[in-house]
Amino acid sequence: MTLLRSEWLKLWTTRTTWVMLGIALLGEALFAGLYTGLASLAEIEGPAGEPEGLETVATGVGLMLVMMLVLGVLIATTEFRYGTASSTFLATPKRWPALLAKLGIALAVGLVAGLVYVVVNGGLAVSLFAERGGDVPAAADLIEIYAGVVASYAVLAAFGLGVGAIVRNQVGAIIAAIAFFFVLSPLPELLPGSIGDYFPAQAIGSLHGNPEGDESLGQVTGGLVLGAWAAALVALGTLLVCRRDLSE
Amino acid sequence: MPELEVRNLTKRYGRTVAVDDLSFAVEAGRVTGFLGPNGSGKTTTMRALLGLLRPTRGEALVEGAPPVAMRDPLRTIGAALEATAFHPGRSGRNHLRTLAAAAGIPDSRVEEVLEMVELTDAAGRRVKGYSLGMRQRLALAAALLGEPRILILDEPANGLDPAGMRWLRDLLRDQAAGGRTVLISSHLLSEVAQIAEELVVIRKGKLVAQASLAEFTAGGGGQVRVRAADLSGLGEALAEAAGSVARDGDALLVSGIESARIGEIALRRGIAIHELAPQQQSLEERFFELMGEEEDGA
Repeated sequence: MTLLRSEWLKLWTTRTTWVMLGIALLGEALFAGLYTGLASLAEIEGPAGEPEGLETVATGVGLMLVMMLVLGVLIATTEFRYGTASSTFLATPKRWPALLAKLGIALAVGLVAGLVYVVVNGGLAVSLFAERGGDVPAAADLIEIYAGVVASYAVLAAFGLGVGAIVRNQVGAIIAAIAFFFVLSPLPELLPGSIGDYFPAQAIGSLHGNPEGDESLGQVTGGLVLGAWAAALVALGTLLVCRRDLSE
Repeated sequence: MPELEVRNLTKRYGRTVAVDDLSFAVEAGRVTGFLGPNGSGKTTTMRALLGLLRPTRGEALVEGAPPVAMRDPLRTIGAALEATAFHPGRSGRNHLRTLAAAAGIPDSRVEEVLEMVELTDAAGRRVKGYSLGMRQRLALAAALLGEPRILILDEPANGLDPAGMRWLRDLLRDQAAGGRTVLISSHLLSEVAQIAEELVVIRKGKLVAQASLAEFTAGGGGQVRVRAADLSGLGEALAEAAGSVARDGDALLVSGIESARIGEIALRRGIAIHELAPQQQSLEERFFELMGEEEDGA
């Protein structure tokens, strides 16, 4: 608990966190508002009988996903960048408890950001959409989509944390996390068979309920696959942090 | 049992040997200075004692055990490693609060240490705007946070003005007088001589000397500097008395005869003495002498 409080303080006592979340939130509200307010209803709803109608209501997710990934990386790397890791690991010589606390904070921030997203999207986009006479999905479907979004935020923050702990260099880790998630991990989808479904980019599609491929893992399995990736990265990162020297 | 001990500590970075089979112990109750030129392995040794890096060989022990095994780390050992290791956007007070939170130390203690290092007024400002001296004080405040039994400070006097130096010396001597163990590193002899009572000197990762400050400066060869009205006359007389005499500008450097005898010899010859000063070898000379010896040995 004491370590969680320490990490929580670390996160909110710098401006970066506030600025990043502020930008993400603003961008999201703008995007969701403009899209649902200005695009043609037919485009938003998509072809009848397809799940796209649901997908497009939950719009503007992408920017926040990038922000969550970056925030996770920052939670792990900021201490190495400024040399405060030495102080932190003086207080926790075994090191892994501090990383566990960071993981807890990353997940919590992901959840909070997800809930904020739901409020913004539900309050703004869906009501605008309904106002214009759009065909609003059933509450149960909306909840399913939103649950997937909230979970994906938390898991992506953890994903970023893992990459950050492995790479340690802040800029390098941000590039590595984004390149891996958004550029490399969609590639296996081009391979025959369903192997691509088990890479993060497709798994998050399944979690959101809008797989781009034909076969989907389903929301729960998609979430578990994505979670397993994040868990593996965090575990590897923690192992490396515990073993490596802190010489600057 | 010494509070801090390194035994045959060796640390390699690739082909570079930062610390080479180093052994020494630090006892409680006095300030120990850890002295050596830049790059001699002081910081590496301190980091090994703090559990921040793994020795290639040998061990670093805190109260007889490896630092990773510390039960209550911040109350056992407080460290200030470098004055730059702060998040520039975080205030000094918040920096201390994050550390206090991790060890379950109340925020009231944060205010106490801020007061101790005279940083209360600046505590709400972001570290970005701090001077080097203020960062040193903040680092020291962090070290004092848990009222630790052991203090390890890397170049704590760096960036302090003379008043700050005196303040630091008083603070550290107080800590040592209270039974605590204090190890401070420096590459400047003059700094260490002002603060420490015991010295550990290393060079190229190896131990050169460990002694008290008094022992360290003693044994300067017993030279006496003399100025007199008739220098050459006095020089002859002293040479006859089996002293070794060297001319040093308008003075003589005499060894082998103590100053009282020199005065008597001069009186007998009727030579007026202008100056008679036993020379204590300065720490600086002793240091370079040791470094030179080591060079020859290598």
